[in-house]
This record gives sequence, structure tokens and C-alpha cells, in this order.
Amino acid sequence: MLINSLPTTFTCPACGLLCDDITPSHNSCSKSITFFGQALGDSKPKIKGKNASLTEAINAAACIIKKSQQVLFSGLSTDITGFKSLYSLAKKTNGSLQHINHVSMIRNLKVLQNSGWQTTTLGEVKNRADLLLCIGTDVVSHNPRFFERFIDIEGMFTGGNISKREVIYLGVENPSKGLLSLNCKKADLPEVLGVLHALILDKSLKIESVAGIKIEEILSLASKLRASKYAVLVWIANDMNFPHAELTIELITKIVATLNQTTRAAGLPLGGSDGDTSINNAHTWLTGLSLNNEIYTEHDALVWVNSFSPEKMPPKTNVPIIVFGNSNTQFAQTPDVFIPISTPGLDCAGTLFRVDGSVILPLKKIRDNSLPSLQHLIVLLSKVIGNEA
Amino acid sequence: MITILKNGIIIDPAHKKDGVVEDIYISNGKIIAKPSANEKISQVYDLAGKIIMAGAIDMHSHIGGGKVNIARMMLPEFRQYSEPEAHICTLNCSHHATPNTIDTGFRYIEMGYTAVFEPAILPINARQAHLEMADTPMIDKGGYAMLGNDDYFLRMLTAQKDQRAINDYVAWILHATQAIGIKVVNPGGISDFKFNKRKLNLDENHSHYQVTPRDILKSLSRAVRELGIAKPLHVHCNNLGVAGNFETTLSTMGASDGVPMHLTHIQFHSYGTEGDKKFSSAAAQIAEALNKNKHITADVGQILFGQTVTASGDSMMQHLNTKLASPKKSVIMDIECDSGCGVVPFKYRDQNYVNALQWAIGLELFLTVEDPWRIFLTTDHPNGAPFVCYPHLIRLLMDKTFRNEAFAKLNLDAQAMSNLSEIDREYSLYEIATMTRAGAAKLVGLNDRGHLGIGAAADITVYTDQPDREAMFSKPDYVFKDGSLVVKDGKVVKVTWGKTHTAKPAFDISIEQDLKKYFDKYHTIQLDNFKISDDELKSYSESPHEN
Repeated sequence: MLINSLPTTFTCPACGLLCDDITPSHNSCSKSITFFGQALGDSKPKIKGKNASLTEAINAAACIIKKSQQVLFSGLSTDITGFKSLYSLAKKTNGSLQHINHVSMIRNLKVLQNSGWQTTTLGEVKNRADLLLCIGTDVVSHNPRFFERFIDIEGMFTGGNISKREVIYLGVENPSKGLLSLNCKKADLPEVLGVLHALILDKSLKIESVAGIKIEEILSLASKLRASKYAVLVWIANDMNFPHAELTIELITKIVATLNQTTRAAGLPLGGSDGDTSINNAHTWLTGLSLNNEIYTEHDALVWVNSFSPEKMPPKTNVPIIVFGNSNTQFAQTPDVFIPISTPGLDCAGTLFRVDGSVILPLKKIRDNSLPSLQHLIVLLSKVIGNEA
Repeated sequence: MITILKNGIIIDPAHKKDGVVEDIYISNGKIIAKPSANEKISQVYDLAGKIIMAGAIDMHSHIGGGKVNIARMMLPEFRQYSEPEAHICTLNCSHHATPNTIDTGFRYIEMGYTAVFEPAILPINARQAHLEMADTPMIDKGGYAMLGNDDYFLRMLTAQKDQRAINDYVAWILHATQAIGIKVVNPGGISDFKFNKRKLNLDENHSHYQVTPRDILKSLSRAVRELGIAKPLHVHCNNLGVAGNFETTLSTMGASDGVPMHLTHIQFHSYGTEGDKKFSSAAAQIAEALNKNKHITADVGQILFGQTVTASGDSMMQHLNTKLASPKKSVIMDIECDSGCGVVPFKYRDQNYVNALQWAIGLELFLTVEDPWRIFLTTDHPNGAPFVCYPHLIRLLMDKTFRNEAFAKLNLDAQAMSNLSEIDREYSLYEIATMTRAGAAKLVGLNDRGHLGIGAAADITVYTDQPDREAMFSKPDYVFKDGSLVVKDGKVVKVTWGKTHTAKPAFDISIEQDLKKYFDKYHTIQLDNFKISDDELKSYSESPHEN
């Protein structure tokens, strides 16, 4: 049931772009339609698949957590307030934390911690970018409205003619936009980018092609990048699904740094969802360290949180599973305890970081129901754990 | 419930009290007049021989927001660096340049600091700054919103919009970002870097907007004054770190036509070009100008030797510094037609000529600027050094022998280029209290903090008078926050969360009509989502806390 005084616009947490121009009649992309179109699922808590009261379910969860030596708090698909509650519980119970997107998050983090980078944000892209190079990603599979909102639109400094912006794909099969594309396999990206970087540095190479791309084509790309006033090089860590992908990302950031010696350019890591950027930021200020510095393999209980994504299920495991999740979650493996919780941006308010890291947006409550928030649930759970301790 | 602090030696420059023995009465978090004899006294602290000052106020320290968190993310190795002082620790405790928010609050209060101001809130990133500050325990917080490189303001200035419209925009930003002051970083330069400009002088036109940094300073300083905000425009000058930049700094003092301005981390802007290495101290020229120009205040941004990280909105100058990064990594960002940032780790070395001279220049400034009400003790945390080094810095100011011993260990060429050892001045406790309490409170506009008068908030620090001033200021006997005992013998005994100070001058809300058009056309978020409401800010401090 929608609330009576519906906000005029609301923010969509279905991907990292956090479009905040959503209205009841304008959901505007497939991910957003799916997110806002989800019906309220069964809101009854369950113990081993059987209906239980909230109190019974909390007691059962507390019992599992107390028996465990090492709980893995995983999924972590929630907003900042939800995460802070989870962090507090994890600290209290000597648990570990791992976000559902940890594999792709680590790829970017390794680059940040090894060499750093020179990046930009969506507002600068919209108003300034004259050349967009999408590397190993079509972008829209992850961020459907990226081109609509930031590229196919007039910017403050791009002149009236939007076709002045050039979009080039590198290593993308069947890109959505019929513009210039240099095709190669993703696994060949390191080699192609290495050649591109060498050519930007004016090194002469005695080769005719690399990974099936003619050297003239790469030379032409190098010239365009050097001539561009504000080139933006986009990647999505999730699409860099090959060994040592971090080295390829680092190569992209090196190309940007080289371009910035003579002109302006910037990197732009996109993708992002399930609150990953938010959770990493909050973890960083609460602990002084980014999330996912370690991979936790040993644990004897799993707490799974999937507020935003009912389709994202806990990994197969033999240890007891507790799910604090979206009410629509359909399980392959019945969890020991399932407590449906409210989804920020739908059932309750919240706060999230956009994928570019600098913009933080409020999420609004747009429907009424009795689902507890993650933070409320954890307050109740912590009381039980504390009382019995 | 009345608490008495009995027989303490009061140092309270706001009331010109320098070492008088008086009792202080506390009730409901405030300092009160001596109560009548029949009122019940619930607690008495006999502080005979102890030094009592108001809680210290750091008016410039990067404690929250995007760039600090990027530094934390980028530098996991900082966890391994140790600090000499023993503190109580939280999980993952980090005695280094980028402590987590919990440690930030704990380390500050343990040194007797009760309020800290984040000096560089990017308006678009204000939510993050406040989220982090809400998770910073013990101390009061506040921040300065950055303007002067945002395209909306630069368009207004180019279009020669009248001052009243600019004032409305500045006020609107203060409300929207929940800030207490306005800062400008490298006026025009961060924006011009996006147009591939690498250096912008005070009277040079911005390559796109055709306005100069001087125009920006004049307009913003005037807006701040006309809006009646206490905190003068906080200025990070053009040409930070460049040899010869003292001339820019001197000219900047004249850019506001006598309207008050605060020049921040002025040590980084006091460099000459003399000597074989074309890098010299211009502290004498800067101090002379500061002594003369009564409308200018400054904080020093002292450097101290060791590993730290520089985190600045000044993407233009930080991009030049990336080649000096140690360890070799850095982050440079252009941000949302609003600002930018640069995060560059750095290790200051006492045997490096430039670093050694930077150290001496900072101290020369401290010791030759005459009025402690107009110069403030900062390290521009973490840029010059982590804030936990303040007690060491205080000893350098108060103890000439200690200072000269340190000076004698520096790079010899740097020693030859500094007159530091010839300066005899030693700061008194009264001057330290002026700089770190009364003066800072007056500058930021905190009427009820930084002093021990009746009606003041009972933020009070009690020290044992020791000849080793570093030891004395590292570990107060007691710290009271809003009347509660929160630190005993240098250790936190009670966790509190402090409040956020803001400035909310009146303005004409019709400015939102034009802003809305601008947001709809060029921004990437809705105007309403840019603004942080009072309720939203309150909700941050009500959400679950860690300690």
C-alpha cells in the first residue's frame, strides 16, 4: 500500500546511479521498474521454513549466534544505518563482514591501495566530457540510464551540439550504441591497453596489430584521447571478470595519469549496487580501514542480508544460516531463521552513496507495512544476546 | 546537582584571568554563579595547584568527509605505524594520520579538546561529512562549506549578479550544508584545473569565466560579513606550496578591502625563492603583514616530521604534488561542478632541506606574530602532522631550549636559512589558552565556549602544571564536557557525542527559483536532495552509535 503523502520524487537504489527523479508514473528503466514494482512478500518470520513470531525468530537467531565462534555477516545489502547496526553486532559477536559484491570491490580497492587514481563524478561527466571510452563494459547492463542522463544530453561546457561527444567502446561485444568500437576479447584488454598507453606516450611499436585490432585504429584512439579536452575512461569492475583484472584497471588509471600531464582526463568506475559503495565508506570511517581486506573462509554461522535484492541468495553452506532479508526472497536452501525486513527506499527511509563516491542521497519511504527495519531488528536481537550472555 | 571545581588556578583569557585562584560552579552543563549557601552541592573536586582552562577548540582539522575517508581507504599500511603516546584504544585503533571517527573523538578529548571544526565540506558531499561527524564521539563539531570553485557561483560572478543575490546564495549554502562558515580553496583554481589550467595567480583571469581569484575573495568575504556570520571567510590561498608564494599571500591580505578574512595553514603560503635552492623562509614578511593587517587572522598549519597524508580540496596543487607522494600513490578527483580533491601521502623528513625549512617557517610565524588572538595552533591535520602531535607543538612554542635542541638536529642548509634559534620568545600558558580557547571560540563565533565565565558551557580541562609542557598537555587530569566528567587521568571515563554547531543567517528563499532551474539543467540530483534538513541532521546523531 502506498503511503498517503507520497513524495513528489524518490530515489532508486536498484543500481549505483541512484536516480532521484523517480515518480510513480516514471520509473524509467527496467531495474527501477522491477524494484518499485515488487509486491510485498510474506512478512511472517520463519524458523526452518515454518511460521514463527518475531520474538521466536529473534530468539532462534540469537541462539545460533551465541553458539557460534565465528559468524560471517554477509550479503550486507542495506543502507548506511542498517550497516552500522550490523557492524555493531558483528563487533559485539566477534563476527566478520563481507559484502555480496566483494569480488569486484576488491578489484578496485587493490588499484586504489596500490597506485591510487584520478577520477571524476557523474556531474562532471554530464557537463564536461567530450570523449567517453567504455572499456570492457557496455555500462547499460549495470547502469541502464547512464547515457540517457549523462551523455545524450547537453552539458554546461560541451556546447549545444550533443553529438559532439564521442563514445568509443573497447573490448565490448555488441555495444548498445552504434558508435565506434574496437573489438577484442576482454582477456586481451591488458595487451591492448598496454599498446594504447605506449602510443599515447609516443613510443614507436613495430607491430601491425594487437589482439585482432589494427595498430592504426589504436593509434587513432590514442590521438583522440590526447586531443580531447576532458576524456573519461569508464570501467566496471564486475565486468572485468578475468584473472588479475586489477592490473588492467591499474593500466586504465595509468593512461589517465599520463593524459593528465598534458590535457584533462579522468577515470570513472561505475556499476555498484546493493549499497556496496555506502557500506565500504561507512566501514572505513568506523574502523579506519576499507571493507574486504580479507577473505573469510572459516565461519560456523552465516547471517545474510539482502534488503534490496530478493533474488540474491546466500551461498550454499553447511553452517546454520540466518537471513534478514527482502520479504520476496525465494530460497534454494531453507534457512534456519528468516526474518523479513523493510527495504530502504521502499518500506523505510535511508541513506546511500552513489557509485561515484561523492554524492550521498536520502532514500524515501513510499509504502506502508509492518516490516521491521534492520536496525530495529538488531536492537531487539542484541538485547536477547546481551541478556543471555 | 551542583559540582564545584575548588581552588584551581584559572587561565581564562576571555576574562583576562591569568592564574587567579577561583572556584567554578557547574549546574546543568553550564558554569553558574556561586550558589546560595542552602543549595545542595553534590560533588566537589579539590583542584589546588591545578591549571584550569576551558576545553580547547581546534578551528581547522580535517576530521570528516570524502577526502579523509579516501585517505583511510587508500592507506591500510598506516595501521602499522605507531605513535609514541599510550592511549586507550578501540578495535583497530589507529594512532596515526587517519584515525577512524571513534578514535578521532577519543584522542581529541584525551588532550582536552572539546570542539573541532572540519574546514573543507564540499557542499555536494556535506551529507558524508555530517554522517562521519555524527559518528565522532566526545567533541562538538562543525564545518565550513567550500564555495568559490562551484560553477553556480562562478556563473553568478561572471554575470555580475548583485551582491545581495550572492549573499542569498551563500546563506542558502550554509543552510543546505549545515555549516557554520564559508571556505574558499585556491579561489577559482580548482575549477580552472578542470579546464587544464595548472596555476592561477590572484589577478589572473579564470580561463573560462573571466573572473579573477581576487574578485572571488572580494565577493565571498563581503557576503560573509553582510550576512553577519561570525566566522570570517576561511581562505586557502592560491599557489599553495610554491616557492615564492608569499607574494600571493601578501596580496591576498589586501584582496578583501579590509573585510575580515582568515588565511589558513599560512605556513604553506610563506615561501620565498632566496638561496641556492631557490626555496626560503618568508615568515618575516608574512608575520610583519599579519601584525599590521588587523582584519586578517591566520592559523599556522605547522609541519612535524614523520609519515602523514595530505588531503585537500586543492586538486590543482595536489596534482603537482603527486610526484612527491610517499608511499607512491595518490587520488585526484574532479567533483560534481562543485569542487575537487587531492589525497597525497607524504613523509616529512628532518634531513630534507625543504621539509626542515617548512618546520622552521611554521615556528618562526608562531613566534613573530604578536597577537595570539589572531594566530591559531593547527597542523592542518593531517596535512602538516596528525593532531595528536599538538602537545609536542605546544612544547616547541613554550620551551626555547627544547626548540633549539630540535632545530640543531635539522638539515644544516635549512638551519643556515632560518633565524629560528635567534628568537627568544616562549609562549605563556595564557597565550596558549588564548590561541587554543578564547581566540578560537571568538573566531568561529561560539559565544558560550572557549571561556570560563558564568553562562558558558562547562567544557573544562584541568591540567597538572609540569615543566614538560608536552607531558602536561598530553594528559589532562580531568576533562568536563557540558558539565560531565568525561576524561580522568587522560583516559575517557564516559562516552558522549557532542553537538554540531551551525550558522543560519536569514536570506531570500526566492533564490531557489533560479537554483531549481540550474539543478534541473546541469546538476545530477534534485535540488531538494541537495539540502540537509535539521531533522535529517538530527537523525544522524540518533542512529546507532559505536563506542
